[in-house]
Amino acid sequence: MAPGGPASPSSLVPWAAAVLLVVGAERAPALPEICIQCPGSVRNLSEVALYCKQTPALMLQARCCLNQKGIILGLDLQNCSLKDPGPNFPQAHTAVIIDLQANPLKDDLANIFHGFTQLQTLILPQDVSCPGGINAWDTVTFYINNQTCHGQRNLCNSTGDQEMCPENGSCVPDGPGLLQCVCADGFHGYKCMRQGSFSLLMFFGILGSTTLSISILLWGTQRRKAKAS
Amino acid sequence: MAWPNVFQRGTLFSRFSHHHVVVFLLTFFSYSLLHASRKTFSNVKVSISKQWTPSAFNKSIRLPVEIWSSNHLFPSAEEATLFLGTLDTIFLFSYAVGLFISGIVGDRLNLRWVLSFGMCSSSLVVFVFGPVTEWLHFYNKGLYCCLWIGNGLLQSTGWPCVVAVMGNWFGKAGRGVVFGLWSACASVGNILGACLASSVLQYGYEYAFLVTAAVQFAGGIIIFFGLLVSPEEIGLPGIEAEENFDEDAHRPLINGAENEDEHEPNYSIQEGGTVAHVKAISFYQACCLPGVIPYSLAYACLKLVNYSFFFWLPFYLSNNFGWKEAEADKLSIWYDVGGIIGGTLQGFISDMLQKRAPVLALSLLLAVGSLVGYSRSPNDKSINALLMAVTGFFIGGPSNMISSAISADLGRQELIQGSSEALATVTGIVDGTGSIGAAVGQYLVSLIQDNLGWMWVFYFFILMTSCTILFISPLIVREISYLMQRRQTHVLSG
Repeated sequence: MAPGGPASPSSLVPWAAAVLLVVGAERAPALPEICIQCPGSVRNLSEVALYCKQTPALMLQARCCLNQKGIILGLDLQNCSLKDPGPNFPQAHTAVIIDLQANPLKDDLANIFHGFTQLQTLILPQDVSCPGGINAWDTVTFYINNQTCHGQRNLCNSTGDQEMCPENGSCVPDGPGLLQCVCADGFHGYKCMRQGSFSLLMFFGILGSTTLSISILLWGTQRRKAKAS
Repeated sequence: MAWPNVFQRGTLFSRFSHHHVVVFLLTFFSYSLLHASRKTFSNVKVSISKQWTPSAFNKSIRLPVEIWSSNHLFPSAEEATLFLGTLDTIFLFSYAVGLFISGIVGDRLNLRWVLSFGMCSSSLVVFVFGPVTEWLHFYNKGLYCCLWIGNGLLQSTGWPCVVAVMGNWFGKAGRGVVFGLWSACASVGNILGACLASSVLQYGYEYAFLVTAAVQFAGGIIIFFGLLVSPEEIGLPGIEAEENFDEDAHRPLINGAENEDEHEPNYSIQEGGTVAHVKAISFYQACCLPGVIPYSLAYACLKLVNYSFFFWLPFYLSNNFGWKEAEADKLSIWYDVGGIIGGTLQGFISDMLQKRAPVLALSLLLAVGSLVGYSRSPNDKSINALLMAVTGFFIGGPSNMISSAISADLGRQELIQGSSEALATVTGIVDGTGSIGAAVGQYLVSLIQDNLGWMWVFYFFILMTSCTILFISPLIVREISYLMQRRQTHVLSG
């Protein structure tokens, strides 16, 4: 097998979270750092709390709404004096709903949402525009003290450009307004040049047995009577 | 089996036992496999240059680095292509140097060991070059150059050994046609390499190398267990003895042979068992054998033209006519086909005449004409393929003949028969000089094409073909005068 498969570092995060949960299951539950980055817990009437209570299996812990496997589905960082969401923010890339209102955020959020492909509702301070622009969302609603970006769009098919990715690549959403090229179905390896996997065992099996039988045959018919030179 | 019938009919092939057939096939395929692994390299060039370079895709879309641009051996595909071209040249030069050495080695050690060792070791080098560096993600220009020098040196053991073995088994009478047919092995190797490479390329370029290297290694093992390097090894009479033996079968040919014996009186019959006593001649002695230097120089010019066609034809076709690369690759097979037919047919004619130089000269004169014709080929695939086959017939044919049948003639000529082993050394000298010509030619063709255009490349080919004729002209004069003498004696005796 060729190394360097389709595994990307972002897929390590849920794995790490799962390990944390397994390790922490016996003792106090270990939360991802992003959940305890801001003091306090999710406010009772916030959007995140409402979302979390719709589904009985979900639970609120610190600033997060987690499912039973400990994966973050909601994140409420409102009123936390954040200028930017911080280095732990990618831990929340599985979130469906994120609340960042009442923070003095800089108006440049485009690149921090890499990999937030599940995000459906994003609540921002009013002076911060939705990441990826209006086209990246189904609806953008303005309220008195916040704005809500709702319904992430898949921009892969919307640009009308058939060759968005290099050969054998395929476009997939990579968060609001963001796209990335991964290997198309069936392709893998560097530049997605490889397809399928070579059966070493079968090849060497056939080659080895053929070589052995031809060698024996030729030794018997040709070289057996040869004088040692 | 139809063998008894063939024996009774007393044809050219009546002397051939199953040993002859096995030797023919083993040497044929062992050289085919060596050539196949060379062809693999040129067929996976596109994939390798992709592997060595980062993606040059300039759009706003994100390309995860680990998939698209983690390799930076070369900044762009053009530079990778340039490096691959350099590797070709390095290979040809070390191959040429290796030919001189391994011919000498082949005559002193057992041909079977040398051939088997060469095949197995060069397949290991290819294995390191392709799969190992890829699996370890260790891409290094210096390592690649070193490996390819080693590969050239080791691969060069193949040709002198297989020609020497063939020369041991097949006598001069039928040599032209047998060797003509046999020298298709390079072309068959090209086709085999192309097929093997394209069938596994989807799994990754390293598997193309892995498959050809493994098959070549297996071939080396089979050679070790199956090849008889000469009839004497199993107590059969040597070919010189046999040539005397079937006087009746080839009355006109033997007339010529007797004439030759008068001129070169050192003819001796080599009995079985003498193989252990023979002493190899020195490199200097081999160079001094009559015909070796003229044919080496002629072959340098001719192999230059022939290899330029191999290397540049697909590129020329897609560059000059705008045909797709895959189609151009397929079309360029017609040159090989022409070469195979040319080599066999011209070998056959030269057997009948008992002289090879006049056939070569005529073919090369026609080659000049066919080059002019091919350079003015219209933009039509079937006409181009036809002209290509004709050009292959007149250039590839003589080239195959010099590198195989004539090399064997030179190494087994009457002057040294029975007293020494010279076959591999002589083959090494002829093919080595030719390979130097080919290596220089690769460089010159790209230079001429860049600066002056394709038309001048053809003028260069015409010049080189003319030089070939010039170098063998002394032999042509001598052999034509022999032919005249023979006709006179025929007239007198008849």
